[in-house]
Amino acid sequence: MAKRPLEGLRVADFSWFGAGPIAGNTFSTFGAEVIRVESETKVDSLRRVHPFAMNPDGTFKGGYNVSGYFNNFNAGKLSIQLNLNTEKGQEIAYRLIEKCDFFLTNFTPRVIDKWNLHYHQIAKVNPRIIAAYAPMQGMEGPHRDYLGFGAVLTPVTGISEMSGFPHRPPFGVGTNYPDYVINPGHTVTAMLAALRYRNRTGKGQCIELPQLESVVNTLGTAVVEQLANGTNPSRTGNRNPNAAPHGAFRCADDASSVGSPDRWVVIACRDDAEWQRAAAALGHPEAATDPRFATFAARKQNEDELEALINSWTRPIKAEEACATLQAAGVPAGVVQNAQDLLEKDEHIRSRNYYQYVEHPEAGREAHDGPAFHLSETPGYIAGPAPLMGEHTMDVCERIIGLSMDEIADLLADGVLI
Amino acid sequence: MTEQALAGVRVVEFTDEVGSYCGRLLADLGAEVIKVEPPGGGRQRNSAPFLAGYEGNPDASLAFWVHNTSKKSVVLDLESEDGRIAARKLALSAEVVLEDNPVGYLAARGLGYADLHAAKPSLVYTSVTGFGQTGPHANWAYTDIVGQAMGGIMTLAGEPADPPNMIYGHQADVSASIQAAQGTLIALLHAEATGQGQLVDVSAQEAISMSQETAMQTWDFQKKNRVRMGGAGGLPIAIPGSGTLKVKDGYIVLYIIAPAGGDLPDLVDWMREEGKAGDLDDEPYKTLIANLNMGWLTQLMSTPEEAAKYIPLLPHVNELISAFFAGKTARQAYEEGQERRLLVGIVSTPKDLAENRQLRERGWYVSLPEAPAGKPVEFPGPPYRLSETPAIITRPPRLGEHTAAVLAALA
Repeated sequence: MAKRPLEGLRVADFSWFGAGPIAGNTFSTFGAEVIRVESETKVDSLRRVHPFAMNPDGTFKGGYNVSGYFNNFNAGKLSIQLNLNTEKGQEIAYRLIEKCDFFLTNFTPRVIDKWNLHYHQIAKVNPRIIAAYAPMQGMEGPHRDYLGFGAVLTPVTGISEMSGFPHRPPFGVGTNYPDYVINPGHTVTAMLAALRYRNRTGKGQCIELPQLESVVNTLGTAVVEQLANGTNPSRTGNRNPNAAPHGAFRCADDASSVGSPDRWVVIACRDDAEWQRAAAALGHPEAATDPRFATFAARKQNEDELEALINSWTRPIKAEEACATLQAAGVPAGVVQNAQDLLEKDEHIRSRNYYQYVEHPEAGREAHDGPAFHLSETPGYIAGPAPLMGEHTMDVCERIIGLSMDEIADLLADGVLI
Repeated sequence: MTEQALAGVRVVEFTDEVGSYCGRLLADLGAEVIKVEPPGGGRQRNSAPFLAGYEGNPDASLAFWVHNTSKKSVVLDLESEDGRIAARKLALSAEVVLEDNPVGYLAARGLGYADLHAAKPSLVYTSVTGFGQTGPHANWAYTDIVGQAMGGIMTLAGEPADPPNMIYGHQADVSASIQAAQGTLIALLHAEATGQGQLVDVSAQEAISMSQETAMQTWDFQKKNRVRMGGAGGLPIAIPGSGTLKVKDGYIVLYIIAPAGGDLPDLVDWMREEGKAGDLDDEPYKTLIANLNMGWLTQLMSTPEEAAKYIPLLPHVNELISAFFAGKTARQAYEEGQERRLLVGIVSTPKDLAENRQLRERGWYVSLPEAPAGKPVEFPGPPYRLSETPAIITRPPRLGEHTAAVLAALA
C-alpha cells in the first residue's frame, strides 16, 4: 500500500459518541496513528447500541465490540482503557498526550474540569499539541453546562424549525444529523489548518468548536434573513425559492425494497428549460405550455397543483426508471435511496468503491463508510477494523507511553487501566 | 496582526453552489480565495432570498453571502479565448484550484486537472460535484436535493404519510464542501512537504452518506432498511418526558427519560413548585414516575400484565406535562429546564438564534458592511475558534470587484 499523507502523526482521541470519533476516524483513514482512550467506567454508549452483528442462527451478537454504529466511526484506531477518574489515570493521560501531535475531545466542559484536561494543563506537558475541544455549547458562556447530544442539537440549532413540512410540528430529521459530517468535518478542517501553522512556526494551539456555533454557521440563509431583513423564516417542506417543481414524487411501490416499499423520485427544475424537458421526458410535453405552469412565477403560484400533477405522472413508474428518464433529458433527479439501494443496487457508488469492507474479529465482515474525498496520489482507506475495547492497552502503554512491565502491572492492580 | 493558518495560500475557485462553502472555509482561515465568476454571476449570485430592497441584485443574494465571505471576485468569460487565457494564468498562480463544474466542462476549456497539473505539478486541484469525476453517474444533473435523496438521508426524515423530507440549508452541498475542505488541506500539506500536487475528487452523494447514521450498518448486518418514523418515532404511544411539545410561543423537545441529567421525578418537583403536579404525587402515578426510563419501559413491554397496569396511565401523565409546559415560552422552558439539569431543548427559530444568550454573550455574531450599500449588518460567526490563528470573516465580494486589480497583478 502507498504511504498515506498523515503517516507519522499521532492523535490522542479522548472523544466519544459520533462527532469526536468521526474526526479521529478521518485521521486514521489518511494514515495517522489514532489512540482511542476509553474506560469501562464510562463506556461509549455507541458500543452498546444497535445495529449489532448477527450470529448465523439469527440472534444478535453481544458485548462491547459488535455494534456497527461504533465500529464504523473507529476504524483502524488503537484502544487503550484508562480510568480518568483516578489521579494516576490522569498522569498516564498526560504522558500519552506528550507523545501525540493532536488531542481531540467532545466531552462536556464539566468532564474536562474533572479530568484536568484543559488546554492550559495539557499544553504544559506538550506545548506543540494541537488540542481540539468540541463541546455542545462551548467551553465558556452562560449555557456552557447545558445537556445535550445530536438529537437535542438538531432543534437547538434551528435545523428542526427549518426542515420538514409546514403543517407538521418540527420533529426533526430522523437522525442526530449534525454529528456525522458538519461537526467532525469542521473539527478536522480546523485541526489541519492548525497543523499547517505548526509546520511553519512550531507552535501548537487550542481549537474550540462549540457544536452550536459550528452548525448554525451552516444553517443556510435563515439567520441572516432575521439579522439583515428582520424576518423569521420557517420550514417549507421540500420546496426551494429558486426552483419549481422541487420535491419528492411518489413512484410505483417496490416489494423488493425491504420494509420500505414506497418509492420516490426527487425532481428539481431550476428554469423553464429544465421544466420543459422534465414534462416531455415524463410524457406530458403539453404541461410545459399550460399557462398554469409555463413560467417560473406561474409554477410557484400553482405549486400545489403542479406537484399533484407530477405525482399522477410518476405514480405508475418505477423510481429508477423515472430518474433515468429525467437524467437522460438533463433534469436534476434522483431516487430517494435507502441503505439497501446504496449497498446493493447503486452501481455508481460501487464503481467508485465508496463502501469498504473489513474483517472484524468479533463482528465478522462489515461495511464501512470509506473516505468521502478521493486523493489521486495519496488515497486514504479503511486500514482495519475498529479496536476491541482495550485491545491495545498494553501496546500503547509499552510502545508509545514507554511504561515498563512492572509499572503496567501496578496500574492494572490499582484499577487504572480499566 | 496575527498571521492566519492559511496565510500565503492562493486558491482560485471556479465554483457555484456545491463548492463555494469550501472556498469560504479556506478564505475565513486566511487563504487568498479568488472566485472566478461568469459575466452576470452564477446561479448562487442570482438566488433568493435577497437583502430587502435589493431583490435581483447579484451583490445582495443572501444565499451567495453565506457561502462566499472573505473572497475576492474576478469576472472572466470562459466562453471567450481571452477569458480562458487569463483564467489559466490565474489558476497557475495558485496553490489550489477549486471547482464544481459539470465533469469535463473546465477540461474542454484548457482548465482541467490534467492540463494544469502538467504545467504545475505541485498544484492541488479539488473538484466538488454531485457524483464525482468517475462512474456511470458522473455526468448526471445535480442539485442539492438530488444529493440528499441519492445519499440516503431523505428516506430517514419525515412522517410516513408524507413524502420523505429534505433537510434545510443545502446540506448535500455543504457536506460536499466540508469534505472537500478536509481533502484540500490534506493535499495541500502533502504538496508543501513533497512538492507533489494531486486531484481531490469529492462526490456530494458520498459526502453526505455518513449522515445515514446507522442505516447503512443496519442493512449490512441485519438486512433491514431504516425508514422515516416522523414525530412519534415509531412508538405506538407517546412516552412522558420525551418528544416535541407545543408551548406558548413555539416548540420544545424533551429527552428527560434519556440517561443524562435529571429524571421524571425532578420534572415533577418543578411542576409541584408551580402547583401543576396534579395527582402525580399520588398512586398509581407516584410509582410510575419513580420508575419511568427507557430501560424500565423496555422491560415493561416484555411483561404483559405489568404493561397492562402502567401503559393506560401514560396519557394522563402526558397531559399534565403538556399543560405545564404550554404555559411557558420556549426560551423559559429551555433555560429553566436546563438550569435544573433536565434535558430540554428549544426548537430555535431564526429569531431565537439571533437572540440566543450563549451566542450573544460569547460575541459570536460579527458585523459586516453589506455589499450593495455598505451599511453594517450582523452575520453568523465561524464554526470554530483557533487560539493562535482565528478565522476572520470579511464581507463577500461584489461581482467583479477585484477583476482589474487581480488581472493587473498577473500581467
